[in-house]
Amino acid sequence: MGCVTPSAFHCNPLLNAKSTYEESELITLLKQKDNQAFSYLYDNYGGALYGIVKQIVSDGEIGNDVLQEVFVSIWRKIDSYDSSKGRLFTWMLNIARNAAIDKTRSKNYQQSLKLMPISDNELSHPIIRPGYDDYGLKKVIHKLKDEQRMLIDLSYFQGFTHDQIARALNIPLGTVKTRLRSALTQLRTMLK
Amino acid sequence: MNVKEYILSGIVESYILGLATETEQQEFEVLSKQYPEIAQAKLDFELSLEAQLMRDAIAPPAAMREKIFQSLDTSPSNIAYQETEEFETPVRKMNPWKWLAAASIILLAGVAYWAFSSNNKYKDLQQANTELKNQLDQSTARLSELDKTAQTLQSPYLKTATLQGTAQSPGSFANVYWDSTTKDVWLLVNNMPAPVSERQYQLWALLDGKPIDLGVIEPNIWQTKLLVKMKNVQGAEAFAITLEPQGGSASPTMEKMYVMGKL
Repeated sequence: MGCVTPSAFHCNPLLNAKSTYEESELITLLKQKDNQAFSYLYDNYGGALYGIVKQIVSDGEIGNDVLQEVFVSIWRKIDSYDSSKGRLFTWMLNIARNAAIDKTRSKNYQQSLKLMPISDNELSHPIIRPGYDDYGLKKVIHKLKDEQRMLIDLSYFQGFTHDQIARALNIPLGTVKTRLRSALTQLRTMLK
Repeated sequence: MNVKEYILSGIVESYILGLATETEQQEFEVLSKQYPEIAQAKLDFELSLEAQLMRDAIAPPAAMREKIFQSLDTSPSNIAYQETEEFETPVRKMNPWKWLAAASIILLAGVAYWAFSSNNKYKDLQQANTELKNQLDQSTARLSELDKTAQTLQSPYLKTATLQGTAQSPGSFANVYWDSTTKDVWLLVNNMPAPVSERQYQLWALLDGKPIDLGVIEPNIWQTKLLVKMKNVQGAEAFAITLEPQGGSASPTMEKMYVMGKL
């Protein structure tokens, strides 16, 4: 909680005394474009969102750009957030994931990858471009069977559709869905 | 439908992680409103996912905080601009105060220039005015002099003697006016060479063959006077001007006579 880098305007620890918000209260303030509420949002969730971005985007500089885009999007789109569909964090998480995946498909990112040395492991799994491969959610899914782990990786971390995965792996679409659903239910039990 | 089976199908996770299709999403949203168990399962997964990701948090570089907040430009006056910027050509809008400041500077420069040029004009006018005043004073003096001259010349008792240049100075020419009642003598020099230094012209009256001194002529007197009053004389047959030593002579130097004329 609180200020990581105190700066006179955005994060004065004395003025910014409030360290916790009820989620509904936070959402109301964010929709009013309240600076302190947004400050709190960054200080509390910035790290978690940065964590998911880093698992999708390997390059640190680009990861920073994505994080900035994520918070700009949150700031601009907060009015479209509908709490009946899910928690604020879930909404922000999806913004972060989509922004990071979009970035991996940009020309700049593709070029930055070409400059990186490619390991033997990556050559044997050419589709998989891991960011933080043994960390966070990725570490959790490592406990799954290889085929399940790959499905989550391709769909969640790389953003491929079921159809694309089915064609790439040359397995029926129905099988992709079933295996992925099965992998996700296992993930739920692992997170509990 | 079997709610428990539905919950365990993996749809909850698919929905939350953004992996469900559009149709699956809509179905899930409808069902989670109908069945509290589904809504609860959704919330449970959200909370456990959130908890996991909060544990996995990676602190962004410290500089990111400032960078992000600067890019938001969260000051209230900029919110409207932020929201419309995607749809409008990004013409930079100038703060009204900046316009006002710019206008003030231009106005100030204008006033300063005006004051500067006005002051210069004032000085010029003052100088011109002084010059005009001097000219007017001179003209007035000259006019009153001419006035006096005219009055003098208007006298019905005035007699004129035209003095012509002698062999000594053929181009010279002067007039002498004599008032028969007041006996006043006036001299008007039309054209005579400037006297050499240490010398002065002297006017003489000739009466009964004898010269009478009517006074010396001050050099440069013609710059201020048109008619110069000389000494009175009771009567004269003729007048003459000779060049004499400074201060004049008791009797004229005849060989230095420049003009002469009969009354």
